[in-house]
Amino acid sequence: MFLRQREPLVFDRSVPGKRGMDLPKLDVPVAKDTRPAHLKRSGFDAMPELSEVEVIRHFTRLSKWNYGVDDGMYPLGSCTMKHNPRLNEKVAGMPGFTDSHPMAPDALVQGNLEMLYTLQEWLKEITGLPGVTLQPSAGAAGELTGVMLIRAYHLSKGAKRRVILIPDSGHGTNPATAAMAGYEVVELPSGPDGTISFDDVTDPVNGKVRKGLKTLVSELGHEIAGAMITNPNTIGVFEYRFKEISDLLHSVDALVYMDGANMNALVGVARPGDFGVDVMHLNLHKTMSTPHGGGGPGAGPVCCGANLMPFLPVPVVMRDTVKVGEGEVPKHSYRMDWDQPQSIGKVHTFYGNFGILVRALTYCLSHGSDGLKAATMRAIVNANYIRTRLKGAYALHIDSPTLHEVVFSDTIQAKHDVHTLDIAKRLIDHGYHPPTIYFPLIVPGALMIEPTESEGKDELDAFCDTMLQIAKEAEENPDLLHQAPMLAPLRRLDETTAARKPVLRWTKAL
Amino acid sequence: MRYLPSSPIEDQALLDTIGVPNAEALLVGIPEPLRLHRELDLPTQGSEQEVAWQMMNLANKNMRFCAQFLGAGAYDHFVPSAIDAMISRQEWFTAYTPYQPEISQGTLQHIFEYQTLICDLTGLEVTNASLYDGGTACVEAALMAVRVAKKRNTVLVSRGLHPMYRDVLKTNFAPHDGLNLVEVDLKDGVTDLADLQAKLNGDVAAVLVGYPNFLGVVEDLTALAGPIHAAGALLVSVTQEAFAFGWFEAPGKVGADMACGEAMSLGNKPNYGGPFLGFLAVKDAHKREIPGRVVGQAKDLEGRTGYVLTLTAREQHIRRDKATSNICSNQGLVALRANIFMQLAGPKGLRGLAEQNAAKAQYLRQRLLELPDMEPMLDQPFFNEFVLRYTGDYAALQEACLKESLLPGLDLGRFYPEYAGCILWCATELHTRQMIESLVEILARVPAAV
Repeated sequence: MFLRQREPLVFDRSVPGKRGMDLPKLDVPVAKDTRPAHLKRSGFDAMPELSEVEVIRHFTRLSKWNYGVDDGMYPLGSCTMKHNPRLNEKVAGMPGFTDSHPMAPDALVQGNLEMLYTLQEWLKEITGLPGVTLQPSAGAAGELTGVMLIRAYHLSKGAKRRVILIPDSGHGTNPATAAMAGYEVVELPSGPDGTISFDDVTDPVNGKVRKGLKTLVSELGHEIAGAMITNPNTIGVFEYRFKEISDLLHSVDALVYMDGANMNALVGVARPGDFGVDVMHLNLHKTMSTPHGGGGPGAGPVCCGANLMPFLPVPVVMRDTVKVGEGEVPKHSYRMDWDQPQSIGKVHTFYGNFGILVRALTYCLSHGSDGLKAATMRAIVNANYIRTRLKGAYALHIDSPTLHEVVFSDTIQAKHDVHTLDIAKRLIDHGYHPPTIYFPLIVPGALMIEPTESEGKDELDAFCDTMLQIAKEAEENPDLLHQAPMLAPLRRLDETTAARKPVLRWTKAL
Repeated sequence: MRYLPSSPIEDQALLDTIGVPNAEALLVGIPEPLRLHRELDLPTQGSEQEVAWQMMNLANKNMRFCAQFLGAGAYDHFVPSAIDAMISRQEWFTAYTPYQPEISQGTLQHIFEYQTLICDLTGLEVTNASLYDGGTACVEAALMAVRVAKKRNTVLVSRGLHPMYRDVLKTNFAPHDGLNLVEVDLKDGVTDLADLQAKLNGDVAAVLVGYPNFLGVVEDLTALAGPIHAAGALLVSVTQEAFAFGWFEAPGKVGADMACGEAMSLGNKPNYGGPFLGFLAVKDAHKREIPGRVVGQAKDLEGRTGYVLTLTAREQHIRRDKATSNICSNQGLVALRANIFMQLAGPKGLRGLAEQNAAKAQYLRQRLLELPDMEPMLDQPFFNEFVLRYTGDYAALQEACLKESLLPGLDLGRFYPEYAGCILWCATELHTRQMIESLVEILARVPAAV
């Protein structure tokens, strides 16, 4: 980045007669046209005509307006933008994996099945939970699968429950998921320390009382199907009363779902299965370094306790072991088991984002138990280093050691009429992708910074120096921030008009 | 650990600045009893060389084929070299969702172009940045139709829809007590018009129909649209083989109100079923009900054209439990592969590839029918998949094919008991005449069923 010259839309570069793909010579008779006249393809309106070199230049130039993890620190909080090892890409591209057909009989894809089984074993040990499905394609798909498991659990006991509890600091996907699974969402308030409040919370501004966990559990009781809790939460703090929370919920047979978006803080350090979690998802595109791809594909495996295993999506990957003889290595074979009478059914057309799962297992094997823990510890050290260096210049939401990410607010800069958005845009001028902003919602003007374990001291220092300089600029020359970014290919974009009069595709009239 | 930029001197400097004696001191927020007081019971770290070898061993345990005559929702097509080269650029594959438009114009402009091309393929007006796969795209389409149709609570699904798409629909409809999912029968390999008409009523929000359907047959959307629209319902076409858009008319031009399905064919290998590419295209009037990320044009402060994520008021990070869907991460990089594929192919490439697929499938069918134990099944227009009845033993046929490294078509009885003894065959531009002749030769030698 950054190429300052504009690359036009591909449609403006199209010239009739050019082509970027040749076809093989047809070695069979030309197809007989049996199509009903009205079902014959009439034509295309936008499909461009270009040579290969033009297509490659187009996408190369466009790519230069992006920022990637290899450009530098990508401090998006809750997104865990860590290094994407190239070995993982190479392995996922091995023809033995890429050419394999999802409808092929199990006996022909033993390598795939062993791969899936092995990854499941790793995730079981990492989470401390005995059941796994690798089918969900992303975190939100994992959430939906997990909540459907909770629903199946209650139905199996003849109970239909109505409510899912979700903290006000949770990701938007949590309430959206609960609604998609047919539940009503009741919000759990955060206390002053950012964790779930057991007691009722009175809003200091409007005096409204919001019911805390204890009140909600006693009032709603058996109406509660479960709670979806992000841990560590979105402020980077471990819900230190997690065991009490889960005990309280379990007392009314409500289940605990853990949003594992922030699992990069816990791998090798604490296991959800050991502190009361019934079901959770992992974001392999966060914790296990599979690339974000500009928005996906990800993978959101779900891990659960024995109480939920009968309901896992079909098929379930199984290993059969045949004892060969005394002192010999037993022989394993793997299969997809479709005979799960209590299963919620399928949640993906086939078996999930397989290529992403291959990358995740490669990450696990590379790190091993020792490397996984070292990565967690380094991610925590890095976040605390940033916390320490920026403290004072930026307002800390909570002044205690953090885990893998740190959340500041813009209250110091707001005195100069400089706000979080301005700080974020100014970072672009300094050559950084901005952090996550205005989230979590419970922190005013939140700047959520997650450095991950991939940053060395010099990279952390360069980022902190930049943030300190921006803090100084905010005091001395606030307009510099209001105008930012000045050095990007474009200045601030008018999103309001874009949403009011949406132009969502190119047309000849455009 | 080769991925951690760690050295004893620097690590100490970090801890000194933070003011803690060691990293463990930073875990103070996690109560002691909740921590793991042992190492994970897993192998220790592996060098790049060791891990590459280990993973290659797994890949090699899968059987490799000279040719796969199996489609059924995952199609083997040629992938131009430019695609892997392009998506290997770190600016594409390591970037995040383009929340900050000024530093993500590459991804945003690509999605805008991709949206344009998906609309062009389907003949509809609005699409999104992608969905997970064909099955979940059907779910999003069906739920969206229920929102659009207001107060209608039933979705009809043709039995010709991919059986696994129907399974995913069932899973996702189960939690909604007020919603019904009803199957419409097949007759002669296409949606049974009489059964459809019997099931259409004022409660039906939408009808999902395969185009082509799982049996490879093209459904006459125009004929189906009549009664569906008369009943006030929406017609949703579901396409599992995107190459068919080069052969059959765009669904939006022959009566479909929404088009969804699977576009993995555009620049991907079968990959054991994922990552694939779900799509959903709709009419402009329904755009505020579409799920997922949508990119739109915008102007910057100096009046220059750029692109932003838009219509976000529909999405989970704004609307929370009132959002149109919970989808956040999608299949971004797979959409990029499809975009590059379509730009390389252009209109002539898409049409030419479709013609070759049709020609190869017709030739394969003709040659297979010359065998004494293959019989024609459906007399319907098809694209690159078709059904034949096999009077022999499928297991013996499969064994003979595997011995010669050929993967035969699908034993249809596994999903359609009414088609037991039938095989769903597929041929694409990858199948040379030689491969087809080899298959026929091998099948000719399979001993007749006893």
